[in-house]
Amino acid sequence: MSREQYQVPTTGSGNTGGGAFSAPAPRDYAGESGGVMYYMCGDCAVRVPLEKGAPIRCQKCGARVLYKERTKRMVQFEAR
Amino acid sequence: MPRAKARKEEPAEAGSDIVMDEAPTSHQPESRDDMSVDQDEDDEVEAEDDEVEEEEEVQRVRLLPGSTPTAASFEFLNESHTLGNALRYIIMKNPDVEFCAYAIPHPSEAKMNVRIQTFEGTTAIQALEKGLRDLQDLCDVVSDKFIEAREKFAATASS
Amino acid sequence: MPHKPPTQEELERRKIVGIHGETITDVTSTDFPGHYPGEEHSWDIDAFRRGFSVEFHQNDPYEASFSLIGCDASIANAFRRIMIADIPTLAIETVFINNNTSVIQDEVLSHRLGLIPFKGGHEGLHNFLKWWRKPADESQINNSYYDFNTVSLRLEVKCEHNDAAAPNETDPTKLYKHAHVYARDIEFCPVGRQDRYFSGADAIAPVNSDILIAKLRPGQEISLSMHMHKGVGSDHAKFSPVATASYRLMPVIRIERPILGADAEKFARCFPRGVIALDKVTKEDAAQRGSGYEGHEGEVKAVVADPMRDTVSRECLRHPEFKDKVKLGRRRDHFIYLVESTGQWESDAIFLEAVAHLKKRAQDLEKQVVNMVR
Repeated sequence: MSREQYQVPTTGSGNTGGGAFSAPAPRDYAGESGGVMYYMCGDCAVRVPLEKGAPIRCQKCGARVLYKERTKRMVQFEAR
Repeated sequence: MPRAKARKEEPAEAGSDIVMDEAPTSHQPESRDDMSVDQDEDDEVEAEDDEVEEEEEVQRVRLLPGSTPTAASFEFLNESHTLGNALRYIIMKNPDVEFCAYAIPHPSEAKMNVRIQTFEGTTAIQALEKGLRDLQDLCDVVSDKFIEAREKFAATASS
Repeated sequence: MPHKPPTQEELERRKIVGIHGETITDVTSTDFPGHYPGEEHSWDIDAFRRGFSVEFHQNDPYEASFSLIGCDASIANAFRRIMIADIPTLAIETVFINNNTSVIQDEVLSHRLGLIPFKGGHEGLHNFLKWWRKPADESQINNSYYDFNTVSLRLEVKCEHNDAAAPNETDPTKLYKHAHVYARDIEFCPVGRQDRYFSGADAIAPVNSDILIAKLRPGQEISLSMHMHKGVGSDHAKFSPVATASYRLMPVIRIERPILGADAEKFARCFPRGVIALDKVTKEDAAQRGSGYEGHEGEVKAVVADPMRDTVSRECLRHPEFKDKVKLGRRRDHFIYLVESTGQWESDAIFLEAVAHLKKRAQDLEKQVVNMVR
């Protein structure tokens, strides 16, 4: 994002809630990975596939809290 | 007074330690030199078996400015109270030594200073060398006696 | 005035650190040349050999206790410090986390893994394995790992529901598979010549297999590999070969005047059990003039049985009835060590290694001093 595109979010600008500032066109994550993103159900820990625009809800237990999956990359730490 | 002389010459040096490059890093990758007594492997795996090659060691002992033959201060790098106090004791046991003390000038610098003043007839450097030799002899005695006592204990414990 | 050599009694007295109600006396050693006029006290290896002795009290792999008698605090302290900070051990140093969906954070998990003590074949640990040093060029780091400086470990655990569990089961360890991750789940992956040194009973393994690393719930997973390197305690406590390495000075309890009857029993209660024993005043005791036992034959008297067990709590000095009857102290040259190994070394071997280490240090520095003069 270039500096011109970025707009400092302000609270008193009349707009409330989401879409308060003109972000660059949202990246189509779903499109990139074949239409589905996986999340973890917060209740039953099952992997939940979600399409773009689909209701945020676990198909198995109906819980509405879903977590992002952890990165697939290896992360290195010092054992200190 | 040799001590005063040493003080006078120091400011030039004291000023130089604001150079931040010399500040110790938190991970201290280089300062491990002291413990790497036998890490002499380079890239070849075969080098491991012959232990003859001794890496050219860095000079860790330095005579501080202002020292005279019979009254000298030494600076040891990468040494601590462990050796400092033991060395001080054994040098103080030398009857030719008038004064011996050690100090760690600053806890975040891995430096240990030893001050030795001797009577006429010997030098501070000789006293230091004798101290280090005596310490080695002492270690031999402790080691021998320890093994002896352990064997004796094992014999009484099993019988 | 010709100097009289000190009597044996005087020499003994010089060794005692006085402990009084609120103060201590004679703390520093005085056995230096020039301290006592006309006395030698210079370093003499033969005199040291004659005066020095070691006495073992306990010698187990994980706990050893022994006394060094006849050496200075500076020497004893050097050995203690070396045992804690300078004897190398092998410990987990780098953790490569592929996946960790457990509730314990990556860095906390890594830290916990680092602190687990490991054991393995002594020959391999002490002679085969060498230091690993981070290459100056960071990009070469992957070319710096060899079988003689790096030990590789893996930990792969996944928690799942246990279908065999009883329907009303509440214990998570039975309800789920791998609900707890223990040190025994760590798997050693030998490379190169490590097979030769670390196989069978000599394999690299945690000293205690029951160390709890993390807790999991179904669906959570830990998948990581680890590198172990050699290091010393001065760098990080996880490398310290000892849980504790400490010494204390031998307590001295001197009963100056008889403590008899009910007082003797009270006196014994001022000390830990076994320190003070209760004896009968014998005929010989009572017959001794000026001993204070006259006319007390058959009564109970307090005698010092085992001063080593004393904690020098000074409790006896608080009671007026024992005033001037007892003197407390410690022997300045009697060090009672307690060394508890974490398991990689035998406890007694750690001390011997410390002695060897101090000698090597002195040897290296002697060369350095010669080099400095040149």
